[in-house]
Amino acid sequence: MTKIPEVWIFAEHQQNQIEPTVLQLISKAQAIAPTFKVVAVLLEAPDQQLEQTLAAYGPDQILAVKQSQLEQVADVEQAMILQQLVQARQPNSFLFGATALGRSLAPRLQAKLQTGLTADCLDLYFEDELLVQVKPSYGDNIMCEITCPERRPQMATVRPNTFAAVPVEADQVCQEIEVLTDLTWPKVAHFDILNEQVIPTPPASLAQADRIVALGRGAADPASVATARQLTAALNAQLGVTRPLTDDPQFAVSNQIGQSGQTVAPELLFCCGISGAVQFLTGITQAQTVVAINSDAQAAIFGVADYGFVGDAKAFMTALNHALLAKNA
Amino acid sequence: MKIVVCLKQVPETNQVKLDPVTHNLIRQGLAGRINPFDRHAVQAALDLKAQVGGEVIVLSMGPNDNEYCLREGLAMGADRAILLSARAFAGSDTLATGYTLSQAIRKIGAVDLAFFGRQAVDADTGQVGPIVAEFLGWPQLTLASQLTWTDQGLQGVRRLGALAQTLAVPLPAVVTATRELNDPGYLQPRQIKAGFQQPILTWNEVDLEADPARLGVAGSPTVVRKILAPQTKTVPTQYLNPDPQAAVAELLTALQAKNLL
Repeated sequence: MTKIPEVWIFAEHQQNQIEPTVLQLISKAQAIAPTFKVVAVLLEAPDQQLEQTLAAYGPDQILAVKQSQLEQVADVEQAMILQQLVQARQPNSFLFGATALGRSLAPRLQAKLQTGLTADCLDLYFEDELLVQVKPSYGDNIMCEITCPERRPQMATVRPNTFAAVPVEADQVCQEIEVLTDLTWPKVAHFDILNEQVIPTPPASLAQADRIVALGRGAADPASVATARQLTAALNAQLGVTRPLTDDPQFAVSNQIGQSGQTVAPELLFCCGISGAVQFLTGITQAQTVVAINSDAQAAIFGVADYGFVGDAKAFMTALNHALLAKNA
Repeated sequence: MKIVVCLKQVPETNQVKLDPVTHNLIRQGLAGRINPFDRHAVQAALDLKAQVGGEVIVLSMGPNDNEYCLREGLAMGADRAILLSARAFAGSDTLATGYTLSQAIRKIGAVDLAFFGRQAVDADTGQVGPIVAEFLGWPQLTLASQLTWTDQGLQGVRRLGALAQTLAVPLPAVVTATRELNDPGYLQPRQIKAGFQQPILTWNEVDLEADPARLGVAGSPTVVRKILAPQTKTVPTQYLNPDPQAAVAELLTALQAKNLL
């Protein structure tokens, strides 16, 4: 009997929360590999219960390593643990979120396993057991299809918020949870964590926002910014900006949408005074409904907008604030 | 302290086009420059050298015209430059590139730190730094946004999403630099001129005593199967009334119908 091919997903977590990209990858793997075994691989401390979060998204199996050494662990050590698991069980593929940690850890593991790794994928699909990995290059100006024909596992990091995470029905919740508690790994040189600090406004909040009001150079004056802040409060939205506005000290890269900032996936996105440069548009391809407000009717932003208003951004935002106030009164 | 900075030469612009017939990249007219993140890596190395003394060596792999990024490293103040150039290196993916660079770092010998930019702006992988660290058996500090040298050694800060970690890293180590790490500033004409007056040492696969099976196409597990133009979202835009009040009323009705408000 041939073994059922396995797709593994690294269940990254932080502050006792599963990274959302992990759940998106579990749903995507089930969709593209319905006959394969989808396995979430979790490294956690003994007092953690993160497998419960993963189970609700219906992987076929959760492989959890629960050991006290995992309370504080370096990339190098995590790579050694994953190497042991891969060499013992020989998965077909191993997927990581293209997060700061995923992009540090996956190449380290790749080098140990001497296999291929494709960075920052925007799509994945299988041709039989061959994983086709679609990744952007040259700042998202071209797309490449990359495969790893001979070596296994086929490894990829996948851009956050590219796929939807879908919880499964109660009868589909994962029942097969295997817990390992006695792994050992050699001592190697690694960094020591001296201090960890949660930054109060996480950059992830923009990436995870359902509603975003985004400002560009056409709405960068203080009055427009103030009006936009009222609008974000009325809509319960997050404020985002384009690259040029990050020169203003009140905005940071964590507020920036686009290729060199955050990739966002809101249900509703207002683009105020934004022309629609490529580096911005690549960050909003997953936005569901886009409203563009720009005084230039030829601006590229209208090419991706569902609704367009040609005119002054501040006047539009002011009118919208009034209408929302009246509606909620 | 002996510090190596690995540089990648990238196209001057990311506005590349595909040949409509062959679907290959049109490379004509693409001038090269140093990967912007790598300038922060060079600056970090120079700052450390200023504090503790030593030597900064810039290293790059690629065809002969890759010397441009090395010249820029020299102009910034690096002490010497090494180019890894041979037909055997052509077609390398990140694994083969990481192997080749790690062999060069071994050959340089007694290296304390290897710096990289966090990623290159053309392929955007950020993989080569960690791969080199693995092949050398060194610890890594990726995405460094602060770096300090103290009596206890090297300390740095990296951001993992909302979490800022302060890390102590034993040497030798690999560090990848973000643009928050420092401000390399602009080059003066005399610096650029000086950069062009220094010799560049070239090494090939024989110099590196490399395993031919791990170089170039042979050492690259991944294959680029196809290059495509990105799909652009084409939605018919519904234009709203030019009067702001009327436009807002129209929009709110439409958004409520879609259950978006």
